[in-house]
Amino acid sequence: MKQALIASALTLCCTSPVYADIRINGFANFIGGMTSSDETVYGYDDSISFSEESLFALQASGDINDQMSATVQILARGEDDYEVEFEWAYLSYRVSNNVTATAGRFRLPLFRYSDSLDVGYSYHWIAAPRNVYDIPFNNMDGFRLDYSDFVGDWEIKLGAALGTFDNEVFNGNVEGDNTYMLSAEVGYEWLNLRGVYGATKATFNQQLVDATISQVAMVAPEFADFLAINEDSGKFIGIGLDIDHFTWFIKAEYTEVEIERSYTPTDNAWYVSAGLRLGKWTPSVTYEDFEGDEQKGLDELSAQPEALQPALLGALQGLNAAFAQNYTVATATLRYDYDANIAFKVDISRYDDDLNDAQDATLARFAINYVF
Amino acid sequence: MNRMISAALLGVFFSSQSFAEVVVVVNPQNSATLSAKSVQRIFLGKVTEYSTGEEPLVINQAPGTAQRTEFDQNILGRSTAQVTASLAKLVFTGRGVMPTEVESDSEVIDLIKQDQQAIGYIDASSLTNDVKVVNID
Repeated sequence: MKQALIASALTLCCTSPVYADIRINGFANFIGGMTSSDETVYGYDDSISFSEESLFALQASGDINDQMSATVQILARGEDDYEVEFEWAYLSYRVSNNVTATAGRFRLPLFRYSDSLDVGYSYHWIAAPRNVYDIPFNNMDGFRLDYSDFVGDWEIKLGAALGTFDNEVFNGNVEGDNTYMLSAEVGYEWLNLRGVYGATKATFNQQLVDATISQVAMVAPEFADFLAINEDSGKFIGIGLDIDHFTWFIKAEYTEVEIERSYTPTDNAWYVSAGLRLGKWTPSVTYEDFEGDEQKGLDELSAQPEALQPALLGALQGLNAAFAQNYTVATATLRYDYDANIAFKVDISRYDDDLNDAQDATLARFAINYVF
Repeated sequence: MNRMISAALLGVFFSSQSFAEVVVVVNPQNSATLSAKSVQRIFLGKVTEYSTGEEPLVINQAPGTAQRTEFDQNILGRSTAQVTASLAKLVFTGRGVMPTEVESDSEVIDLIKQDQQAIGYIDASSLTNDVKVVNID
């Protein structure tokens, strides 16, 4: 009904030459959750919270001409006190039926669900697996080129993106210059395979980390240079597999994020998710594994004067411990399609911290997803 | 195979309720080559061009109508919620637009009369000379 109203409002507006044809779409996720103990998982604790993952978004797009369109997406996240942010703003140019060029701020299409990460309605989870998707460089400024075509029954999609990102993370700031990314995807009826490779020049600044590194620099500048994430090359790779027979599906992704010359551990993350579609119900189970606790820099350390080594090792281990994570999450989710654009979901997750058993916790959530 | 069985089961289910034999229709002037696959790709936003190079105006019927349910299940092979989910992905990445949505067969026919590139679906019993049936078998 609402859609019909909007459609007729649009028809009205567009018969007038004053207004361009503006399409308004939106989505919302209202999510609440709490943990079973004092431990915090994804910001939730043992009293119910609705603000950790809830969000509301509006998107407006309009055609400039037959080939060009402009899109703006504004988003208010509960975790930011629903302050409105321009999440995306870009111009798209349809080069041909198969090729689209985009310029502006957009989602870096790293992993399978990156593009629609905020649109809870579009997937079966309450939130896409955090171990893979919770990365500090989801949005980028720059250019993007997308190609899609069919070769017989095979759907082929290629993508390339080039630009920069700048995000707040871990109480600090991460910047990526000269970021580029290449992706390839092939689909055949029930099968879909995806691969991605990306690289960036990363800089990370955070008060405590910077203080530690500048202390190291006073005695061992070379080692400090190794430790610091200062225009260091970082890379990410991802592989995705999707088998979807409609009545049942299995989805899996593996990702690796690495900044070689730094204190930060290489992150290896994967998940497997399987579910059934039974009419309006979609029950599923998901298992996530995240390993990012390897102690780096021991070779570089051994090249330092022996007298300095104990102190430097302390700094190295301190930095590593601050960023090391190793955990698994097992989740059972139930989705119910209430209407063609509203879904209800509940899930329960068991978070197992392999570095500190005291952090283990169980999280229960519900979600209402809406799109229009 | 599974899908055929469930389609058949659904067919049985719907025949006891309001059975709709849905046909895909275009403007009689539309000379594009269309098959079941190309209709699926157009309605799921995977292609944005007819074989003639023209851009389709895609018309959906409102969710919950017999026509929409039948079309999504039997021609697109998924539930209406799944179709909305796939389209939402395209819309919110700037690579697609939501199909125009109407409430009745006669509105579909009206739009197709007005726009040579329009494509929709209606109950076979509503067919008129203003539209051409797409053979998708």
